[in-house]
Amino acid sequence: MAERALGPARPRRAGVDAALSYAVSVAVAFAAVGVFLAAMGFDVPRAYGTILFTSFRTANGFAQTLLKFVPLLLLTLAFVVPLAAWKFNIGGEGQLIAGAIGAGAAGIVLPGLPAIALIPLGMLAGIAGGALWAALPAWLLYRFGINEILTTVLMNFVSFGALDYVTTEVWPDPAAGHPTSVPIAVGARLPLLLASPPLHAGLVVALAVAAATHVYVNRTTGGYELRAVGANPRAALLHGIAVRRLSLLALVLGGALAGLAGALEVAGVHHRLIEGVQSNYLLLSILIGLIAKGNLIAVPPVAFAIAVLDVGARAMQRTMQIPVEVVFVVEGLILIFVLLSDVVRRR
Amino acid sequence: MLRAGQPGGAPPLEMRGVRKAFGPVVALDAADFHLREREIHGLLGGNGAGKTTLMNILYGLYRPDAGEVLVGGRPAQIRSPRDALGHGIGMVHQHFLQIESFTVAHNVVLGTPSSRGLRLDLSGAEERIRTLAARFGLDVDPRALVAELPIGARQRVEILKALYRDARILILDEPTTNLTPQEVDALFGSLRAMVDEGISVVFITHKIREALNVCDRVSVMRAGRRVLSVEGREASDEVLVRALVGEDVDVRRSLLFSDERAARPTPAGRPALRVEGLSVTSPQGAPALRDCSLVVREGEVLGIAGVAGNGQRELVEALMGVRAAAGGRVWLDGTELTGAEAARVLAAGVAYIPEDRLQDGFLPKADVAQNLILGFHRRPPYGRGPWLDWPAVYDAARRLIAEYRIRTPGPHEAAVNLSGGNIQRVMLARAFSHPCRVLIAHNPTRGLDVPSTEFVYTKLLELREAGAGILLISEDLDELLLLSDRIAVVYRGQIVGTLPRPAFDRYALGRLMSGVADGG
Repeated sequence: MAERALGPARPRRAGVDAALSYAVSVAVAFAAVGVFLAAMGFDVPRAYGTILFTSFRTANGFAQTLLKFVPLLLLTLAFVVPLAAWKFNIGGEGQLIAGAIGAGAAGIVLPGLPAIALIPLGMLAGIAGGALWAALPAWLLYRFGINEILTTVLMNFVSFGALDYVTTEVWPDPAAGHPTSVPIAVGARLPLLLASPPLHAGLVVALAVAAATHVYVNRTTGGYELRAVGANPRAALLHGIAVRRLSLLALVLGGALAGLAGALEVAGVHHRLIEGVQSNYLLLSILIGLIAKGNLIAVPPVAFAIAVLDVGARAMQRTMQIPVEVVFVVEGLILIFVLLSDVVRRR
Repeated sequence: MLRAGQPGGAPPLEMRGVRKAFGPVVALDAADFHLREREIHGLLGGNGAGKTTLMNILYGLYRPDAGEVLVGGRPAQIRSPRDALGHGIGMVHQHFLQIESFTVAHNVVLGTPSSRGLRLDLSGAEERIRTLAARFGLDVDPRALVAELPIGARQRVEILKALYRDARILILDEPTTNLTPQEVDALFGSLRAMVDEGISVVFITHKIREALNVCDRVSVMRAGRRVLSVEGREASDEVLVRALVGEDVDVRRSLLFSDERAARPTPAGRPALRVEGLSVTSPQGAPALRDCSLVVREGEVLGIAGVAGNGQRELVEALMGVRAAAGGRVWLDGTELTGAEAARVLAAGVAYIPEDRLQDGFLPKADVAQNLILGFHRRPPYGRGPWLDWPAVYDAARRLIAEYRIRTPGPHEAAVNLSGGNIQRVMLARAFSHPCRVLIAHNPTRGLDVPSTEFVYTKLLELREAGAGILLISEDLDELLLLSDRIAVVYRGQIVGTLPRPAFDRYALGRLMSGVADGG
């Protein structure tokens, strides 16, 4: 699959090549879908204009895009960090839900604390929740060598049940027509960067975490070991790297990142626990991670681009009755073409 | 059913002038082979002598570059195992090709006409398997699941597969490798029964004693040619050892054989590496290394000779701290390293050149510089606290690339683009880039061309001069004789003898390696 750019600096020629292959992939994907849309009688230029520019036409559109960008970015990191060690964390949404429950519980159970304590506590509870949710698959891998793809996916289903239980049995909001908890304390809510349209400060947290993740993976000995395990576990083992321990760490780290995403959603967006908080972020985040080929510099811009497409697609569905799934097709094709371009370049 | 053997006339199999090169490596050169009817023919040779390549050509797995194959006196074009089976040639590989979740009968009929079409007639097949098994003493239940069978039974399945397809020539590649002595006896009994029914058997082995025990005729291969064929009753282990290790001293590697080196003083440095009573158990529970004790002194090269699979890999892995020892202790310069993890072993001053550079030492997705620091990445100048100093890494990589003449565009180049010889130079540059007390080098020249091999030898001897202790594990006897101050021989996980340099004798070593002689 994707070759991962391990070193800091790379030859310029390779960078130009990569940018070109991305541009061609995106153009071809849009063109291919455009043919079908035109054949179905839709106004293709207007549809694509809506998809691409909704995020930038209004302040509200831009805020919506950034609100989607935050969980997508963190969930992608939750996929990409274990991927560096060649471990596949497909449990991002379960870990996000566990993080949301952790942050929600802190905000509901401890309403008396001041915001300066409660907000960090909520974040930490979210991180711990996500890390714990990933810790079970990670331990099963460490102790028994059980495949982490399977266990992380299965833990997603457990999290759905847990969220349902919390929102209908533990802290249910009877007034809501949908499994929802009572709101968290005002002191647990994230401050706003922008009041109207509302944009919470989680954006800053997510960007800082993305930067820190990049530094960890690419600039530290620990990150080098992580990538050495991913490149050749046996060679890493023979050269003094604790392979199994690092695999465990990578998965737990991924869970922590996803848990933080859940905490930010609760404390910044919903202000309560709500069923469906995970949205379709898991699938999109895997897509982003693969399009970015695990490169941590590429992840934020790709995540932003996918957020733009997602917001634009929903606007297109509202105004033109073109199903939002069209954009998923485009995104899927982009991924396929990006991967294909690797194959072509290798020939 | 088995066809009757052709009376008199043409031999069942003849190979003439076969040549096969893999890139620059010539595996076979003008090799010939002659199989008589109703004989067990032993094919003996060291690693890389070409015996398996020759048989793989016969079985259609490789195409020869030149030469011809005659089956029953007629030239045969064998392009695939199916062609080979069509000519009545069956092969039992060292690594069985079986589907573990299938029964014996399913595995045997797989790919035969009776398994094609819509309905699978298993009862008939099972009956035939039972008949064959009874006739040749290949005891196995056709309904058993292959996954549940021990190695010996799985081998019998493999033989039954060939017999079921009416093979008249049966090739067995190192068939006794994983068998108990009782299973070996039973296998030999079955082979004898097959020969009595007109089948001819080629028995590939590196074990002289086995060849002597069971074979009607023995051919010895060395360096891609058949150098000897003798009747079994005329052969002696002396004759076979001489043929195996070679007598023509003149063709030995160019600069690398000079008399001054042959008579160098015995190093009397302090012990750098001391191993006492080290034992390792294989995952299956069999002892892989038994009570192994050795000392590598400062400025000494201790060679470990032995046929592959006699415990060398386990020895290295236990020393490197990646395989738990069942018993025994290890010291480096008086510091005990028993049970230490690889990181501590490396930090204590052990450098390591892995046996299989691609599998054990190489990060294909990383770049050249990142490969050059593996194992040293936590030490200055590369690692400073939690940080990796990339400018220092790339500076050092540029220096090492120049010093070790690694052919690459630069330290940023993807390592996957390096050639085999250059990957080995990366392994060497890495091992030698930091001062070390002990170097563990496992087959450091395997698959290398002559200049690269010389380069490795030069570097190893430089390190010896610098006072490090070197543990050189190799399957190449010439290499060991050239470089070692002492040679210890492992056989079946035990050190069966140690010779000091003045007493080096390839015949004696060859006997120890084959388990023919004890002591040293």
